[in-house]
Amino acid sequence: MAYSRSHILTPFTEKLDQIHNSIMTIAELAKANFENAIFGLFKRDNDYCNTAIANDEEIDLLEMQIDREGLYIMSRFQPVASDLRYVISSMKIGANIERIGDQVVSIARRSRKINEHPEVPELHELDKVIKLSMKMFDDALRAYTEENETLALHIKTQDKQLDRLNKELNERLILRMQDDSSKIPIYFNLIFISRCLERIGDHAANIAEDVVFAVSAEDIRHLGS
Amino acid sequence: MNQQIKNSTEQVPSEVMSPSSDMETFIKVINFNFFYGKKQTLFNINFAIPTKHVTSFIGPSGSGKSTLLRNFNRMNELLPGVRHEGDIAIDGKSIFDASIEIIALRRRIGMVFQKSNPFPRSIYENVVFPLRIMGRNKRSLLNETVERSLRSVALWDEVKDRLHENALGLSGGQMQRLCIARAISSQPEILLMDEPCSALDPIATAKIEELIVELKKEFTIVIVTHSMQQASRVSDLTAFFNFGKLIEFDHTHRIFTAPIEKQTEDYITGRFG
Repeated sequence: MAYSRSHILTPFTEKLDQIHNSIMTIAELAKANFENAIFGLFKRDNDYCNTAIANDEEIDLLEMQIDREGLYIMSRFQPVASDLRYVISSMKIGANIERIGDQVVSIARRSRKINEHPEVPELHELDKVIKLSMKMFDDALRAYTEENETLALHIKTQDKQLDRLNKELNERLILRMQDDSSKIPIYFNLIFISRCLERIGDHAANIAEDVVFAVSAEDIRHLGS
Repeated sequence: MNQQIKNSTEQVPSEVMSPSSDMETFIKVINFNFFYGKKQTLFNINFAIPTKHVTSFIGPSGSGKSTLLRNFNRMNELLPGVRHEGDIAIDGKSIFDASIEIIALRRRIGMVFQKSNPFPRSIYENVVFPLRIMGRNKRSLLNETVERSLRSVALWDEVKDRLHENALGLSGGQMQRLCIARAISSQPEILLMDEPCSALDPIATAKIEELIVELKKEFTIVIVTHSMQQASRVSDLTAFFNFGKLIEFDHTHRIFTAPIEKQTEDYITGRFG
């Protein structure tokens, strides 16, 4: 059954709308920040990196605000069934988006370090990992707004693909390190960024799991891993 | 005139709602319909209530939950023009069987009402009232029953020094616990509670709820409540009624986290109407 935040009790509806809007806000911020960090890396522009690092504070504050809103709803309205699942999932999704924000900060910091060196062609080895991790994050947010269980389940399969891409990239870059030790610091930071992107995929998969729980009450964590 | 039917436990339909096959059934409601004159208020109810668990009946006013509860001890028969179809079996035997004596049936079923209704007598006499009706007046038995019953409802320490004072001097919460003590003094098997906390403050309510959880070790408890929180706090199983129909019956945690029926979802989340 499709979830509706509309209730007989108007203040309850308003608070559910409020936590929904907060999730949308933190999601948009994290997404924009993710793009900032990637721009900083590819345009070799530290201003983008610094913006991404500075904006994370707002994401942290929004995560705390979402928790406060969730606790308020639980204490004041004692939600049950789909409402309870929605509030719990929203709080967990807020936390996962905040952790995506932390990974973005790490990417921005590593990007600044890479930008200290001349550009290397291996930077584009990250293309597929970036594209897939961004798509997973986008899909997870779309699954949340559309209550799209099918899309959420698809993200879980994408996560395996992302893990594989990250592993293959690591292996290639480790081989290059052996060929050209002067570029080890750059390759090391690229490996680190790839790992951050892989973790962003993990958080997107967590969001997908929370969406499935909110929509159908099914707990799909740790299945077939 | 009530329609008498034979024990029909052998005719239990396969679709009888029972949340768990490993729970031992104590009350079984089978194809049950109920009428006030021409007006039908319960429609083909089928489900099984397990022994020594707390089962909550929830639903909007007029949904039939109290009507069904009052059929378990055949209290509805006190009303004129009522009739039923189908059967209710307790421990495998129809309560409408011709061999069943109503007084004996009600002795097996204690009942607690919304408004506490102690008799204008002493605390002691309130508790032993069911025993006196049964003609059991031996002092040692009565004393033992008073202490055991009052201890069961956590009232003994509060009233042991004033057992012979008028029960109407107790607080609202104490009076309700006294009524529960009276209901269990004859050691029934089933305890029916019809909104037992609706007139009580939160502390008195918490004491009664604590008591309900404790009493299920000895009794099969069925409670009608309008409080969703109360149903979710104290009951193991919850039945949702609407317009005289049993819409959903399941483990309480399931009803309050992921009900199957949209009507249940809409009611418990406050979207009804």
